[in-house]
Amino acid sequence: MKKEIELTINGSPYRLSVEPDRTLLEVLREDLGLTGTKEGCASGECGACTVLLDGEPIRSCLILAVDVRGREVVTIEGVAENRTPHKIQKAFIDCGAIQCGFCTPGMILVGKALLEKHPKPGERQIREAISGNLCRCTGYAKIVEAIKAASRS
Amino acid sequence: MENIEYVEPKTVREACALLAKSENAKVLAGGASLVVLLKNKLIFPDQLVNLKTIAGLDRIDPSPEGELRIGALCRHRDIENSPVIQERCEILTQAALSIASPPIRNMGTIGGNICHAEPSADFPPALIALGATLKITGSKQSRTVPIAEFFSDYYENVLEPDEILTEIRIPPLPSFSGGSYLKLNKTTNSVAILGVGAVIGLDESGNCAYAGLGVGGAASTPLAITDAAMLVEKPITSSLIETVASAAVKRCEPISNVHATETYRKEMVGVLARRALTRALEKAERTTKES
Repeated sequence: MKKEIELTINGSPYRLSVEPDRTLLEVLREDLGLTGTKEGCASGECGACTVLLDGEPIRSCLILAVDVRGREVVTIEGVAENRTPHKIQKAFIDCGAIQCGFCTPGMILVGKALLEKHPKPGERQIREAISGNLCRCTGYAKIVEAIKAASRS
Repeated sequence: MENIEYVEPKTVREACALLAKSENAKVLAGGASLVVLLKNKLIFPDQLVNLKTIAGLDRIDPSPEGELRIGALCRHRDIENSPVIQERCEILTQAALSIASPPIRNMGTIGGNICHAEPSADFPPALIALGATLKITGSKQSRTVPIAEFFSDYYENVLEPDEILTEIRIPPLPSFSGGSYLKLNKTTNSVAILGVGAVIGLDESGNCAYAGLGVGGAASTPLAITDAAMLVEKPITSSLIETVASAAVKRCEPISNVHATETYRKEMVGVLARRALTRALEKAERTTKES
């Protein structure tokens, strides 16, 4: 039986009607067309589905949409402001931290959450923060560099 | 999925009543384990009962008698960041930090980790080493169960259909105590192949006043290695530690799978038990020097 839920996504209020067994990831991608958040493994291990829930990184593939009722969700589509790239997005571009781009939304959101909590993170802290996001292309070095660079700008 | 109901009880009593009425309900805590089962069509609940809407199940409180009470809905992240847990039973901080990755730790709960009853779950060995008990509430009554008696089989526990785990209780440890949780896994964030938790408490003369040892991933359930009790009232030597480690190896019944063979698991139970006991002892001795 569908449940009516209200929540905030990328700063805007939404009212949705969803079946209880649908994940936040499914609702974001299929109902709302917010396809920046990716499905990689569907079991919480790869991090491609990472979104911010009340500012904290979580796995949207493992959370039911009904469970985020009344909360604030930020997806990659909500990172830039007024079409101006966030300093992290700019750093990723400038450092060459993007290859295929599949892990990038998750990495950027984790980086954003980290910098909001720890504005000057050390390398170890950055690596620990992104430890739940897999990248098959870059070898992580430039991603770490980009987050570091963003913290300095 | 056919007609699945979703409910948000406000009290434990309400939640237990819902579970008692339903044929086939599942409780929802963090969701990190449940949603995987749901999506892979391994379970077919007709009702999801969200426990997070019940206030007060995520507290961490010392009781007047010296017991530490941890709400079942505490997230791994809450355990990791808790100063009182770090001070009183730091082995739980270690276990929490070893689980998966930061985003999972923002979602998963200690109660879910215990009740999902994965043989290699990380909290059970540490809780066994601490001698923890579990407070369980049902629609008609509450009871307490020692953690070592909570697991009945792979992914099975002793909860009745209308019961919820509400609290984890850690008894007070001797003043000079130390704990070590060691996890064997293939990569930093992957699930444990084996997990060993050891806690040692010393009295003022440096003799052992308490010893606990738990092993996960080496049988169909987490194991309590009760042989650790042989350390009590003695000065702990490396030879005694070796005896307990060998006893742990004898008690385990590991499987062979793609991650590790039975032989390797047995060997590593001995290695990790020896290391964990040694480190727990070192930490306990360090606290005697600090005082």
